[in-house]
Amino acid sequence: MAGAVSSRGCQKIRGSQIRDLIDSKHSVLFDCDGVIWNGEKVVAGATEVVSLLKRRGKNVFFVTNNCTRPREKYVQKFSRLGFADVAQEEIFSSAYCSALYLRDVAKVQEGKVFVIGGDGVYEELRDAGVPFVEGDVDDSGMTIVDCPLEADVKAVLVGYDDKLSFLKLAKACCYLQNGECLFLATDPDPWHLLREGRVTPGSGSLTAALETATGRKATVIGKPSRFMFECIASQFGVDPAQSLMVGDRLETDILFGANCGMETLLTLTGVSTLQEAQGYKDSDAPDKKDYVPDYVVDSIADFLPLLEDDD
Amino acid sequence: MAVSKCRRLSGGALRELLDSVESVLFDCDGVIWRGDQAIPGAADVVNRLKKHGKRVFFLTNNSTKTRGMYADKLRRLGFDAAEDDVFGTAFCSAAFLKSEAKLEGKVYLIGSAAMQQELRSVGIEQVGVGPDPVSGAQADWAGVPLDPEVRAVLVGFDEHFSYMKLNKALQYLRNPDCLFVGTNTDTRLPLEDGKAIPGTGCLLKAVETAAQRQAVVVGKPSKFMFECVAGRYGLDPAKTLMVGDRLDTDILLGSNCGLKTLLTLTGVSTVADAEAHQRSGCDVRLGMVPDYFVESVAELLPALQG
Repeated sequence: MAGAVSSRGCQKIRGSQIRDLIDSKHSVLFDCDGVIWNGEKVVAGATEVVSLLKRRGKNVFFVTNNCTRPREKYVQKFSRLGFADVAQEEIFSSAYCSALYLRDVAKVQEGKVFVIGGDGVYEELRDAGVPFVEGDVDDSGMTIVDCPLEADVKAVLVGYDDKLSFLKLAKACCYLQNGECLFLATDPDPWHLLREGRVTPGSGSLTAALETATGRKATVIGKPSRFMFECIASQFGVDPAQSLMVGDRLETDILFGANCGMETLLTLTGVSTLQEAQGYKDSDAPDKKDYVPDYVVDSIADFLPLLEDDD
Repeated sequence: MAVSKCRRLSGGALRELLDSVESVLFDCDGVIWRGDQAIPGAADVVNRLKKHGKRVFFLTNNSTKTRGMYADKLRRLGFDAAEDDVFGTAFCSAAFLKSEAKLEGKVYLIGSAAMQQELRSVGIEQVGVGPDPVSGAQADWAGVPLDPEVRAVLVGFDEHFSYMKLNKALQYLRNPDCLFVGTNTDTRLPLEDGKAIPGTGCLLKAVETAAQRQAVVVGKPSKFMFECVAGRYGLDPAKTLMVGDRLDTDILLGSNCGLKTLLTLTGVSTVADAEAHQRSGCDVRLGMVPDYFVESVAELLPALQG
């Protein structure tokens, strides 16, 4: 398409540009890791930004693919890191939304979910009243040939699991032989950034293993799939055209924003770089355009001057 | 040159084919045995081929046995076979690392004791084999101490696969100079009793996804498996027959290497599968169409009675 101009600008903004952008929105959705904190270290200025946005009457939501904690632990983390009054209702994690999906969309009430995941997922399923098979039983000494399988597994949910074993993979495969058994993944992230530049394998790598073994594709709950936004919208009546998605990962946060019809802001305190964003912008492939953020800031602390001015 | 393919093999065509080849390569699972049971007639076929002066080799993507273990199984099931006749991916990946990659240093191994043994046989040390579950909090083990002598990550079938192993492989592979090799991409591993479990392909995919890197794969349909045999025994591809049950590994290897190919229907693929590839017109898929097929390798017997 010669001469076509990308509709997304990858534009670095500051000062009054940020103010105009914020003024035009009712809601701001923040990713967490790499945006408002990195591990246990808060991004400088993040707590003030969140408070000031709320004081200006904006809805603030936190949308995270991280499924390792239940929401009540997130509330504790927010408090521990100095964020005043972040309520559980404002937090949308892939574990929580997976539980909602299983309860409200898949309606798994009779029957169980086989989980490859951790406490974060188990707690959310428990809270939502979705029955599940305890994955972490002591299967030592058993192999897939002689270990017992549950009779009424209606879905397999795979997420980050540091207790992953071959036996768990094999069991999940057995359940997924049944075409009626749903195949869900909390999120597609292949790896996660920890502090000091370290990385750790993500849910996406475990999902890929299971997809390869079964020849089936998982339904992904987390970003960039729209489902987490639909959860927010159905609970709070949020209009995507009046919402801003703020994230650090082009392949999840920014693509999520584009998929849901929101404008997107990339912050450079996490995974993706400005160079990578430019790379997508310069790419000829039409589907890469949705990875390009509308706007870019070095850090969400860049919001502070404009928010403080008007107080 | 349009060659008619996927023909049922029998009678004159069978005799002509056998006369035209000097060597026959057999896949194992689904071709000469199923689990611990030989396919009826298979041992007879192999032994008679040898008596007729043909060289016979066994090529398997299975990485859980050494050549010695395969030779034992073959002999137990009545096949006249020696260690040197067998090419499994445990052996071939060690050969690859030694001779092709000229590895100096250690291997981080996600794989079996058999793979450890084959590596040792070529003088390569490994770390990582056996159980390795996670312990401690996330911050601790993401920064696990790495062995500075590791220069390659090798992934094969591993019943002790765990998040910790996936994590360690990722840490080593962050160094772009660290080699990344996989034994095979088969998605299922047949067991001795005939059942199947997730295969190496899915473990390899987990590591590839986490590391965002592609492994060099040694097993079929990669040409290396054939080159391993051909290099040692001076095989002429035009005079070599590949017999297999999987179109996407055995037959494709045969096509890639210019061999004649024979599909046997005692395993995974069907004639319908082959015909679908044939109709597709796609180059890669056409490589999965065998020259011939038989119901079972026992159908070769009539041409070997003399």
